[in-house]
Amino acid sequence: MSRPRALENIRVVDFSWVRAGPWATRWLGALGAEIIKIEWPENERGRLPSTTTPHSLEVNLNTSGNFNDTNVNKKSLSLNVRSAKGLKIVKRLIAISDIVIENFSSRVLQKWGLGYQELCKVKPDIVYVSMSGYGHTGRHHHYTTFGPVAQAVSGLTYISGLPDKPPAGWGWSYMDDTGGMYGAMSALTGLYHRNMTGRGQHIDLSQMVASVPLNGPALLDFTVNGRGSRRAGYPPGNRAHWPGTPLVNNYRGPTVAPHNAYRTHPGEYNDWCVIVCHSDEEWQRLVQVMGGPAWASSPKFATAIGRLQHQQELDEQIEAWSMTLGKYELTQRCQAAGVRALPVQSAEDRVEHDPQLRHREMYLAMEQAALGLHKVQNAPFKLSETPASNHLPSPLIGQHTREIVESLLGFSHEELRVGFADGTFWPTNRKRFPYMEEMLQ
Amino acid sequence: MSEAQPLPGPLAGLRILELADETGQFCGKLLGDLGADVVKIEPPGGERNRHVGPFLDDIPHPERSLSFWYYNTSKRGITLSLETADGRRLFRRLAATSDVILETFPPGFPASLGLDYDSLSLQNPRVIMCSLTPFGQTGPWRDYLSSDLLHMAAGGEMASTGYDQADAPNAPPIAPGGGNAWHMGGHFACMAIMAALVYRTVAGQGQYIDTSIHEACALTTEAAIANYIYRGEVVRRQTGRHHAAGPTPRTQFQAKDGTYVCALVGGRLNPKYIGELADLLDSYGMAGDLRDPKYKDPAVIAANTSHIIDDLVANFIASLPAEEVYHAAQDRGFTWGVVRAPEALLDDAHLHDRGFWKEVEHPELGRSFVYPGEAAIYNGSPWRISRRAPLIGEHNIEIFGDELGLSRGELSILAENRVI
Repeated sequence: MSRPRALENIRVVDFSWVRAGPWATRWLGALGAEIIKIEWPENERGRLPSTTTPHSLEVNLNTSGNFNDTNVNKKSLSLNVRSAKGLKIVKRLIAISDIVIENFSSRVLQKWGLGYQELCKVKPDIVYVSMSGYGHTGRHHHYTTFGPVAQAVSGLTYISGLPDKPPAGWGWSYMDDTGGMYGAMSALTGLYHRNMTGRGQHIDLSQMVASVPLNGPALLDFTVNGRGSRRAGYPPGNRAHWPGTPLVNNYRGPTVAPHNAYRTHPGEYNDWCVIVCHSDEEWQRLVQVMGGPAWASSPKFATAIGRLQHQQELDEQIEAWSMTLGKYELTQRCQAAGVRALPVQSAEDRVEHDPQLRHREMYLAMEQAALGLHKVQNAPFKLSETPASNHLPSPLIGQHTREIVESLLGFSHEELRVGFADGTFWPTNRKRFPYMEEMLQ
Repeated sequence: MSEAQPLPGPLAGLRILELADETGQFCGKLLGDLGADVVKIEPPGGERNRHVGPFLDDIPHPERSLSFWYYNTSKRGITLSLETADGRRLFRRLAATSDVILETFPPGFPASLGLDYDSLSLQNPRVIMCSLTPFGQTGPWRDYLSSDLLHMAAGGEMASTGYDQADAPNAPPIAPGGGNAWHMGGHFACMAIMAALVYRTVAGQGQYIDTSIHEACALTTEAAIANYIYRGEVVRRQTGRHHAAGPTPRTQFQAKDGTYVCALVGGRLNPKYIGELADLLDSYGMAGDLRDPKYKDPAVIAANTSHIIDDLVANFIASLPAEEVYHAAQDRGFTWGVVRAPEALLDDAHLHDRGFWKEVEHPELGRSFVYPGEAAIYNGSPWRISRRAPLIGEHNIEIFGDELGLSRGELSILAENRVI
């Protein structure tokens, strides 16, 4: 018998697209909610264009690898919500759902006639999570974001990089991932509150605003101490402190050395490890792992302040040693001796070489009809009674239209056929996928 | 409830026990600011994060750590040594009436004290216990030591972040600062706890949750994993923009005031976009040759990508203050942003409209300070900072005395014996 799921019997109407919104509903789906993704091929963003379609396949709406990973555990209803008939149908769906979630620009749902007040008329205790770039409240609600823009405006880009260089920022849309986290947390806290009080609400999430609290200590250093982040030696690269600049905490834990990335053997692009010593004792352990070299016994490296003052030399010496070892061997030697060290891992490293992720079954293969069998990312939490799992591959566009329209909403098969003919369930001028022809038989 | 009373937060009524160091305190804050009664249990003398700077007025003191202040808002604080029999007895009494226990001890430590989920759930089957640890409770790395930087390395963040060769030759992969590995773990742990709480409203029973920060970080690199799985690609690092299998046009441009602007232009250049870009640049008389009809031809645009981005866009941005570029571009529908230092956010009008900044009182200092606020506005159950971070043992009397009924005499003896 299958285990119960945490969000058993919870239904989510999911208008979200691109990345942040779909990343939120992916997790609600893994936790057991029924996610119904409302899609329309004419203005789809997320399935196309795809730079993650296997080279052996044609790029189409169903062959994006990244879409697949971002949209497991969902069903797809293709529906023209901009038509009067489509709007009526989606309201019928909302009336039997618990959560509505979307990440359009701030006024889109209102323009469709699906603003919060309207949603309440259809389902009085609905939990409505809007995830726009700047939120629905505030003078710049109409501004738009992608992850990198939210990160730039909020201060997250600035805190990453080497001093006296342009910001390195984040090499991906951190705030699409993290915006998705807040979307899911908002939905769950709203749902908990509804279950306890019987009342729904509108949760007005903003991707840009959600980034700001991730800089808490830096902001307090300014509001409390008047110290801004525009200063010598900040950001300090991978170090806790940049040598030759005033000693201050740079918001990444205790100010210590060594605290850096070091090249490892054989010196290829991702052959790096990081090493951190939080105490004199940890430093002495590292000295032992390095074989007790003469340079390391110099009194200038014996104390925390000394290692910070002579960090440049310290790092050069450590790197001369780290270059002699592979990053996994170095990690193992250090950790066996109680020294904090881990390898810099590429995606390939994580999927193929990381023994911990393998043990925890982070990447398990799953069959998707258009893409075939591929590994999909799993949940980082294990719930003892209601485990999260990937139980559905990402949907083909419109794959579940018949199931939802007929079985869930109670329309007849004839009504489904009429809806396809009049452009409600698929644009009349667009070629249907074979599975659509099948569902119309 | 009368009209005058403020609405409670969505998690009002929940009691959460937090036994968390730097790895888990953010998760407790997320829950506390949403209305849960989070009781932070520190070892006698206080938690080690109280010794992490920066400090108020740069005077180091366990009650003056701004990092501790920030990550422990909306919590009450008690001290308790779980390594004493009296401490464990008191903890069991607290656990008997709590909804959630959040702990970040090394795997196996709670069990060694008889305080694991199996024993705590015997007396309170509704309790949800979440262990949030660097690598989870099982596996070859479960006892490895970690730090924020270590997680950013192994999780893949660093492999994606760094510099173009031209900007910083032979630069290392870069770990963004700010303690974001702890944020990533905290977000997922919070999500798992909330799912268990929702389930409990229906099923009536609690459960145990094993959350891994390493896995949370490994999940937070957007399409890097898909790039590898579906195309076998390992991405390259680029200055201030996305990792990519092959080089992409730059997106970061220095404005007249030295501040950078993030202008997403590459990959978007088509005749319509060129027209809009010409309008934006023309409003400052800087459209150059963008009005030339030759740009109706996508092939001509493609051949001139570098001219458009590295000459026209770069010169336009270099001629203006960064904030002006940001607003002028956004007002015309361009998804561009200014690369702000955190302190510039204090002047952001949009954040003020959202009531984002909060005055938090520190009564023992007779001062109040401005704190960052909420990611989302809840219209039916508001987020709020209900109190500043607790002082060491601030609520010992309230909780051990008033709640558990211990006498002042008993409390004194427990303090003398380093139990509280």
